Amino acid sequence: MTAEMAAEMTAEMTAEMSMAAQTADPLLQVRQISHSFGGLHVLRGVDFGVPAGSLTGLIGPNGAGKSTLFNIISGFLPPQRGSVRFDGRDITRDPVRTRARAGLVRTFQTPKVFGKLSVRENLMVGCHRHLASGVAGNMLRSRRSRAEMELMHAQAAQAGERFGLSEVMERPAGQVPAGMQRLVELARGCLSRPRLLMLDEPSSGLNTTEIGQLRELLQRLNREGITILLVSHDMQLVDVASRVHVLCFGSIIASGAMAQIKQDERVRQAYLGFQ
Amino acid sequence: MPPLSRVLMWGIAFAVWAALPFVATRHIVDLLVFAGLYAIAGLGVAFLLGQCGIVSLAQSVFYGIGAYCTAWFCAHQALPSPVGIAAGIALSTGIAALVGWPILRLSGHFLALATLALGIIGQVLFLEWDGITGGTLGIGGIPRIAPFGFAFDTPLRFYFLVWPIALLLLVLHHNLLHSRNGLALRAMRDSPEAAAALGVDIHKLKVQIFVLSAALGSAAGSLFAHYVTFVSVDSFSIDRAISFLLLAVLGGVYTVWGPVLGALFITVLPQWLSRLGDIHALVFAAALIAAVILLPEGFGGAIRKWWHARVAK
Repeated sequence: MTAEMAAEMTAEMTAEMSMAAQTADPLLQVRQISHSFGGLHVLRGVDFGVPAGSLTGLIGPNGAGKSTLFNIISGFLPPQRGSVRFDGRDITRDPVRTRARAGLVRTFQTPKVFGKLSVRENLMVGCHRHLASGVAGNMLRSRRSRAEMELMHAQAAQAGERFGLSEVMERPAGQVPAGMQRLVELARGCLSRPRLLMLDEPSSGLNTTEIGQLRELLQRLNREGITILLVSHDMQLVDVASRVHVLCFGSIIASGAMAQIKQDERVRQAYLGFQ
Repeated sequence: MPPLSRVLMWGIAFAVWAALPFVATRHIVDLLVFAGLYAIAGLGVAFLLGQCGIVSLAQSVFYGIGAYCTAWFCAHQALPSPVGIAAGIALSTGIAALVGWPILRLSGHFLALATLALGIIGQVLFLEWDGITGGTLGIGGIPRIAPFGFAFDTPLRFYFLVWPIALLLLVLHHNLLHSRNGLALRAMRDSPEAAAALGVDIHKLKVQIFVLSAALGSAAGSLFAHYVTFVSVDSFSIDRAISFLLLAVLGGVYTVWGPVLGALFITVLPQWLSRLGDIHALVFAAALIAAVILLPEGFGGAIRKWWHARVAK
């Protein structure tokens, strides 16, 4: 039963992803987003889109406004001006959980694992949004509740193998190394079957080898159909993106392929440090 | 643990539990009944604190609502016990949902103060609505629970009613903790932002657990009314709410069975210490402080830690 349900879930996942990939309009559209903290203008009319099926990068130096923009897109911060559209729908005022349920899933700059839960349980929580049993059914261990637990276990085991976490599955997530915590967060996000996976500085705290592995992993996830928005200041990692937007002092100053971006005079001056 | 040892351990525990009221004095059995009642109400408080991080000082209100509903329906209206119990649970959960929806948007000490306010308001209403509650005079003559003509009218009999109910509720809570929503609750406790980012409806889940906690408080209150056959406002003061919180903290909020240990501690120990005379309150206070300092995760947490260490060896 478990294997059947897992297969069914994977099939649903693939169908959802290919549907997203076929959509012509951008999956995510950010329009004229502005935000200030007191007198400090952090974002000034930011416009950009993330096409379905793409691996898009958003880069910028420290203080460029990347994290603020990321928090606005994911719903942790309401913008003072502008709008965010996801899959053609205005989600600007939607709470975080509504966006997550629509398939907009994020990770955090400092990994936010559920420290007291085991790695396995962390991954199981990733399945939450696709399941529907209620508190009463859970207390009475209804048939649905038991089936869901089996499914969550199976999905977590599968993800554990896939992300190289099998050996630490029973350890409290707060006690595994930082690099693994990033993987736990990433695997958990993938288990929630995102339509758009937003990664905030995923290479922070990783060594060169781990960054290389992360690159491969992101490429693999993207090939499987997950649309990814990657926010980072790490050029080695952002190189995997098919399209990159450069944010500087609250404005997008350039957009295009990484090779183009590297040649852009404003980017070279403002971010890469070339003259 | 091998299955045989597990069965043996549970068998011994059951035998001790079943034999205890026959060897203990009537007074001790009476205390054990109260411990069972407090464990049921404290379980709700422990669940709120341990899984949602909510300090609730409102449990005395739901305990009181359960008791007064039972008193009013069974003593004044002469309706059967299940009606009083069900009415108490319905009223408590309704109030918990209505009040919980706005106040559970608060967090930390603001939320604790909001629940304290609820506890105080409840106490005042119990006192002032004397047409229903009997005010300071209370309501007496509450009939015993007597299903099919068998009356639970002695401490011994009530012991065998209240503890199986407590055990059933512990099992239900254990099931919840190891389910989709239980995982979401524990996730929410560790990192609310990350849980929300995965689609967990934090506010709704908190309200549901608050409602569940109120139902437990109310059920315990109804059983209390049937046991003592008399209720008055003194039984539902803020002191009672603090006792529920205390037993949850002492027993350990991260284990399902912690509140049972906490309830036994706060009911049995003071009576046992009373033989020391006037200083017994001081000794009890010292024991409380020592327990909180030395066992930050409560008795349940300490036992679990010891057990894991033993298994690891």
